[in-house]
Amino acid sequence: MLSDLPGHPMMWVLILTEIVTFGLLFITFAVTGAVHPEVFAAGRAQLDPTLGGMNTIILITSGWLAALAVEACAAERRRRTRLLVAGAILLGCAFAAVKIAEYAAKRRMGIGLETDMFFTLYFLLTGFHLMHVVLGIVILAAVALDASLESLKTGTAFWHMVDLVWVVMFPLVYLVG
Amino acid sequence: MRIVGDATRTWALLVLLTLLSMVTGHAGFHGLAGSGIVLAACVVKGRSMLMDFLKLRDGPAGWRALFAGWLVLIAASAWIAPALSVLRN
Repeated sequence: MLSDLPGHPMMWVLILTEIVTFGLLFITFAVTGAVHPEVFAAGRAQLDPTLGGMNTIILITSGWLAALAVEACAAERRRRTRLLVAGAILLGCAFAAVKIAEYAAKRRMGIGLETDMFFTLYFLLTGFHLMHVVLGIVILAAVALDASLESLKTGTAFWHMVDLVWVVMFPLVYLVG
Repeated sequence: MRIVGDATRTWALLVLLTLLSMVTGHAGFHGLAGSGIVLAACVVKGRSMLMDFLKLRDGPAGWRALFAGWLVLIAASAWIAPALSVLRN
């Protein structure tokens, strides 16, 4: 059954593990928010949803370029494939830069990991995701060098998982409550 | 040859739904309805990414169901907070 999925089957085992881990973190975040609505409303009011939204569009566009790269690779257009993967990587770096700028702004406001329950979970969730973005960038760079269709499908599958997790995290953390 | 493929159509849909979610959040349209719109958009976005970026459309139905279930479970759990606040008032 794993062999019917795009890319290396072991990557799908990893993706499944990540989806379960992030799923548990999301449910923990949602349930804690339901138990402490005032703390979460006050915390959320100090976030910048425009930056969060901007990062969503950046990552979605990166995922789109990665998907186009797989199509280009299947059509044996090597130069186009490399350019598209490079674009996906650059946008991944832009996401990380925006996230770091966001953390720096919070630090200037005197907000940290131990401010309250909301911000502990905020930094835990977004920080854990940021680590995956960095790992995803490394994986994309590695598969771009190799440039075989199977490697590219494997690498982009991980990248789409990172993208999917953020698309779910953005409304949960920044918007809903 | 198609000018716009599945991935490009999905990208446009994802950007549109993200902007809709941002406007909904920005307008202060919270509560059950506002959260419902944002979370429904999130489920549609997640599903589109799985189908057209990850190409699960051509993959096993079991995996599609698993990911769809994951999306719906997360969205439902995120809806608990606004639902509880309605019940409290």
